[in-house]
Amino acid sequence: MDAHPPDPTADTEAYLRLLTQHDRWLATYVYSLVASAADAQDILQEVKVTMWKHFANFEAGTNFRAWARKIATNQILNYRRATQKHVSSQLEENFIEAVAAEIDRRADVLDRKADALRLCLRKLPEAHRKIVVWRYFEDCGVEEIATKSERSVEAVYRLLSRIRAVLNDCVSRQLAVPQTS
Amino acid sequence: MKSPSPDERIDRALEGLLTPEDLEQFKADVIRDADLRAAYVDRLWLHSSLRAQRETLVEVLEQPLAAEKIVRRWPVAVWAAAAAACVTLAASIWAFGKGTIYHRPVATLVQAENCKWAGSDLPTAVNSKLGTGTLALVEGIATLKFQSGATVTIEAPTKLLVRDAMHCRLIEGTLTAEVPVPAHGFTIDTADIKVVDRGTRFGVTAGASGNSQVRVFQGIVDVGGLHDDKLQRLTEGKGMNVSSGNTQAGQEPVHGQQIQEADGWTSIPTSFGRGKDGYARRGDAGGAPFGMQPVIIVKHTDIATGRKNERRAVVTFDVSQIPAANVGEAQIVLDPVPSGFGFSALVPDSHFAVYGITDESLDDWNEKEMRWASLPGCTDEGPNPNQTQRLADFWIPRGGTGGAITVRSDALADFVRRDTNGLVSFLIVRETGESDPNGLAHAFASKEHPTARPPTLRIKLSTQP
Repeated sequence: MDAHPPDPTADTEAYLRLLTQHDRWLATYVYSLVASAADAQDILQEVKVTMWKHFANFEAGTNFRAWARKIATNQILNYRRATQKHVSSQLEENFIEAVAAEIDRRADVLDRKADALRLCLRKLPEAHRKIVVWRYFEDCGVEEIATKSERSVEAVYRLLSRIRAVLNDCVSRQLAVPQTS
Repeated sequence: MKSPSPDERIDRALEGLLTPEDLEQFKADVIRDADLRAAYVDRLWLHSSLRAQRETLVEVLEQPLAAEKIVRRWPVAVWAAAAAACVTLAASIWAFGKGTIYHRPVATLVQAENCKWAGSDLPTAVNSKLGTGTLALVEGIATLKFQSGATVTIEAPTKLLVRDAMHCRLIEGTLTAEVPVPAHGFTIDTADIKVVDRGTRFGVTAGASGNSQVRVFQGIVDVGGLHDDKLQRLTEGKGMNVSSGNTQAGQEPVHGQQIQEADGWTSIPTSFGRGKDGYARRGDAGGAPFGMQPVIIVKHTDIATGRKNERRAVVTFDVSQIPAANVGEAQIVLDPVPSGFGFSALVPDSHFAVYGITDESLDDWNEKEMRWASLPGCTDEGPNPNQTQRLADFWIPRGGTGGAITVRSDALADFVRRDTNGLVSFLIVRETGESDPNGLAHAFASKEHPTARPPTLRIKLSTQP
């Protein structure tokens, strides 16, 4: 595909506005399909550069997310094939495509969930917050948290699982409540 | 055994706790089963939202609950990220425009001192514009200025792959980087880690197969493993050593083991048996002893103000398990690691000497009480000629060697042959001084080092009976 970097003065602002608006969503999308945080970061950067390169092809007013999603999915599949870090199998690619399609299908609900999640996080008791910070801010694995918290790996797994279930329930309840402006 | 519930399978998949076979089955089921797929995406999205929001997570957790409404509001960090993305993009577009990444300059070779190059596919003349490609420095020190503003200095021998204005790969060797604000996010990866700058000066060393080390001189970096999906923040003065799974198993002695190599050599690390290693500094009066540090450090200076920083090291190997009298060849292998003290640029090529401690009663030295005054075989001025014998010497060029140092001599083998008590001890000293009191102190991994190879005595027995 021919790539024409857009006129920086005219399009930069439009692009940055769209990117900013969808940045968190795009990151969540890539993280959903890439297990390694380091790879996800790499891919995200590449996706943003590719989107910018091809921004002239994006029709203003059409669905930016659908367009971004297509680019991101391609980047993820290309990255996997190029790095050959993972033995790329048909199953793996079908899995990524199936999950990506499911995310597409439920895009609206998932998006609202992300907003509700911020509220639910703040309702967590202190002990659970600590685990969340370890797991998601410090990016510790289950085993590392087990060491830090002097619990067994299985106990940490159960706890994390419960915290996510609590968050999930809370998010669902938030979405069921009609929003007041 | 009871089969796990769908939720349990999902959670275990998210935490990487499924066996490869179970994970494969899980993926196949997700493709096939719409309900499982929907449940998986629900949980996955929550999990990924938390991962993707890492930077603002603590901020969110600390917000008071009073703000009960779901407000579509983007935190300041997102705007900041967008602004940063703008800068990154401005830097990258040069590199990515029209698919000509390989020819667009992304950096300039601004300085090259005593450099010899080999196998570089990029130009190596000073002021050359560099696109994507490899630089292989075999001697000297060279500095690259990236278009993002980041400055990277490589010390020979180093092989560096320049990727774009924000990214390079240290294939092997040593570099230091200085990254100004617009280039925050500048990334250096190695065979086993990725170092992402968050506003800093830092140094990285790496072997071709991993075992990378990072040290932050100023500011903050994030270090992530390429394979284990961990990110860790390192602040000023902190360092990190990462051993990758790529080290060639069987070739390097594991802590505490003496290993027999295929070609008749036996490797005896200081961590084996009654082996030990340590160093001492002249000005250590009253301070903690240096026998249990992860490094041994040697330094020599003729500058009066630096005299207290003179350092010497001693290593003892347990040779009780080999027939010492049959030793045919002997080598000492030292693994240089960053000392965190001083800079290579301030010392010339450095000459070192290895002394054997001939007075075997001194083999009994104690790591936990290792001080300047009790360094075995030494007077304040240097090795005591009545208790030591000079066996070998070696050079480390300015800018380091990037690899292990092997010291060998007939006198060294002969010294091991004459052992009578199952322990051989060596004193390591630097003979070259420095031009500035901030000159580099050379460090080698000790047996306390978490990843690098401890001092190792390699012995080949004589085939003659």
